[in-house]
Amino acid sequence: MNKIISILFIGLLAFTSCKKDNYDAPNAGLSGRFVDAETGELVQQDIIRGTQIEIFEHGYGTGQLQYLIVKNDGTYENSLLFANTYTIKPVRGNFIAVEPQDINIQGKTTLDFTVTPYIRLKDVSINKNGNKVVASFKLEQKVINNIKKIGLYAHSDSRVGEPMRLVAAEQELNAVSDPNHTYTLEIDLDANSSVLKAGTSYYFRAGALIDIGDAKLNYAPAVKL
Amino acid sequence: MKWKKARIYIFSVALFTASCAKVLDLEPTDRITADVIFGDPQGVKLYMADLYSQLPIEDFAYFRQGFNWNGSPGTGDVNNGGFAPAMSTDEAVHSEFGDFVGNDDFQWWDKGYKLIRDVNLLIDVIPTLNIKDDERAALTGESAFIKAYAYFALAKRYGGVPLIKESQKYDGTAESLKVPRSTEKQTWDYVMELCDAAIANLAPGKGRRASKWTAYALKSRAALHAASLAKFGPRAPMSGDAVSQNLIGLNTSDAAGYYSACIAACEAIINSGEFRLFRPSPANANEAAENYRLLFQDPNGATDEAIFIKGFTIPGNGTGQNYDIWYQPAQVANGWPHPGRMNPTLDLVDLYESYDNPGQSAPIVTTTDGNVNDYNGYSTAKTYLRFDTPNDIFKNKDARLWGTAILPQTNWKGIPIIIQAGYVKPDGQAVIRVKDEITINGTTYYTYGAPSTTMYSGFDTYGGNNTRTGFSFKKFMNQNAPVVPGWNQGTTDFIEFRYAEILLNYAEAVVESGTGNAAAAAAGLNDIRKRAGHTSTVALTSDNVQRERRVELAFENKRFWDLIRRREFHTQFNNRFMHSILPLQDLRALPDKKYIFVRVNVPNTNPKTFETRAYYRYIPGIGSNGLVQNPQY
Repeated sequence: MNKIISILFIGLLAFTSCKKDNYDAPNAGLSGRFVDAETGELVQQDIIRGTQIEIFEHGYGTGQLQYLIVKNDGTYENSLLFANTYTIKPVRGNFIAVEPQDINIQGKTTLDFTVTPYIRLKDVSINKNGNKVVASFKLEQKVINNIKKIGLYAHSDSRVGEPMRLVAAEQELNAVSDPNHTYTLEIDLDANSSVLKAGTSYYFRAGALIDIGDAKLNYAPAVKL
Repeated sequence: MKWKKARIYIFSVALFTASCAKVLDLEPTDRITADVIFGDPQGVKLYMADLYSQLPIEDFAYFRQGFNWNGSPGTGDVNNGGFAPAMSTDEAVHSEFGDFVGNDDFQWWDKGYKLIRDVNLLIDVIPTLNIKDDERAALTGESAFIKAYAYFALAKRYGGVPLIKESQKYDGTAESLKVPRSTEKQTWDYVMELCDAAIANLAPGKGRRASKWTAYALKSRAALHAASLAKFGPRAPMSGDAVSQNLIGLNTSDAAGYYSACIAACEAIINSGEFRLFRPSPANANEAAENYRLLFQDPNGATDEAIFIKGFTIPGNGTGQNYDIWYQPAQVANGWPHPGRMNPTLDLVDLYESYDNPGQSAPIVTTTDGNVNDYNGYSTAKTYLRFDTPNDIFKNKDARLWGTAILPQTNWKGIPIIIQAGYVKPDGQAVIRVKDEITINGTTYYTYGAPSTTMYSGFDTYGGNNTRTGFSFKKFMNQNAPVVPGWNQGTTDFIEFRYAEILLNYAEAVVESGTGNAAAAAAGLNDIRKRAGHTSTVALTSDNVQRERRVELAFENKRFWDLIRRREFHTQFNNRFMHSILPLQDLRALPDKKYIFVRVNVPNTNPKTFETRAYYRYIPGIGSNGLVQNPQY
């Protein structure tokens, strides 16, 4: 009898101490694009170690920052955020820094960033020439800093870039670019036959890095060859 | 009946406590109080032993999970796979794991502040102890030394940290215990200040406790670290709150002060005349290799060079270590199931100079075209150089290579260690990293150089016990006794500070700062080379110093911090494959026994990338301690 009572008692304790979880799952979301202020085109990004969007949820003191990543094509989306006011700021990007803004995120909220990329790659061509892949392009830079390096990157995945590549052909510039000069880079397929297998298609993408703090590369869209 | 008995008990206990008003003031009998331990010089000695055991020394029991990972209280499962800190650098890869620097690796926050709390409590009582003045000075110096050690370990992980200069008293509110982070500059300056206090109070001497020399050595290392951060910080710019508040990062103008502090500390040790290199003038390279090996196999035979030794004297939990079981080659495992984990990389091996061409690294050339950047594997289109043995290709390389790594088919514990990746059949077809055999003219040849898994140490993935780079591990390994197949049975001691490091710190501080006595710095650098069997001298240049440092201090857990402090990690590791060399027997040469070698990416691995945020560890528990987090965490 005593045993039954004590079991009941413990059960009672357990129930009273544990209320039903009455909070909603995150049901809001934020999505948008990085748009070039002049051309209106999307600003190409890196999916890993690329531009991030720092978001800070109001109402929780000095809490942890959250970071959203941006897709290669310059769009982003997080579809599982709690509805609230957030301070939002893209950080460590490949464009002239933009001011933080407070956004009330309710339901599916859209937020586009109009930015000026540090560098635009113009007249880009990436072609297979015999056993070499050759990229040529011109550079148009929007800030006075040096261009640190240019690169041509290859990967089997379409999200190719400097951080995500099997092979890279890079050239250190460390100079201000000449807008009329055509820069060329090439990857020798034979010399990389262990990673770039003959008869398989790979993605190639050209980029340039400005010499500013922890800036990221600017790119032209990837090409499948 | 039982219930009744219990009630009587409860009742009598209640009676007893009611009758005894001061029950809560009773001294617990299972704890020693501060008065007792600090009231007795023997007690202080015991307390000091505990503080020393907590020192953040990156020894044989230091792994990415933390310090004293040898079954010490408060640590986790000693079976961590044997993933050594060297494997987070370009020195080695693990025979199985492909891991690299992870967020939770090398953390030392709670334990760091525990040590600081413990040493602050000691500092509180030093003035009250009934001891002689010289003993009091020694204790003051030792406590400053331990505290400097702790803050150095914190600063290099987290940047600017809260400086708890005195023991904190709890006054009922947790808020009053919270101390904000100081700037990185203030933190490094505090480390310097503590080193100076240690130097001023400690007597010269040798032994396993702190002396004036160990304090100078610590200062030399810490000052070089801070100076490098200041000079090379711009190589990896960072942004965020911690940066804008100066909690991380130093100004380039701070470099000069720290370099000169390093130079002064090194000169104090060098000019003391107390230390010299172990066996500084070998007759030849073979002798140099053996001397170098002996220095680490038993540092106690080299007390002229060893400034500070951490002992692993007694086998057992918390006292022994596991390098011998994890890292000796498979053939000498002596029944232990997980040997052979440390695989020195070809990248490291390439770095060692050849006596034929001193002053520059000598990459291993395997083909007639001399291309050392081709990692595409074996090809019949290439012409490979043929050698008589699987180690002839390394002939004339710096003695320290031979003292650090076990090269293919060199002897270890009296047997040849067989490291072979395959063979090329008489028809030119290669069989690589597959278990196979072929019989030609009555003789059977095996891809791995021998018929069974107990007879070779390379390339077979069996058990993860065989090297996949072509090299096994020798430095620190005990050659005198068979491996004891159990946990924490190794007793080889670790040299925390040695004279060669001081000479290298000195050379680096002089060359990087462009100040100081360049002739003396070059002399120190060349003394180290001479001890390694070199007969020519090199100039004091940044490249020469760094190459010398990497080969001399390889696997002493310095490389990781060298890459951090010189901000080279993110450029050295950007989609980087580590490399192996595949020794193949060339059966086309029969009846001659010939070997060829193929340079490849380490089999079954992915490229490694270092994220710039990892230059600082994340600070644990910012939700409760309210500190500003490091960037991008």
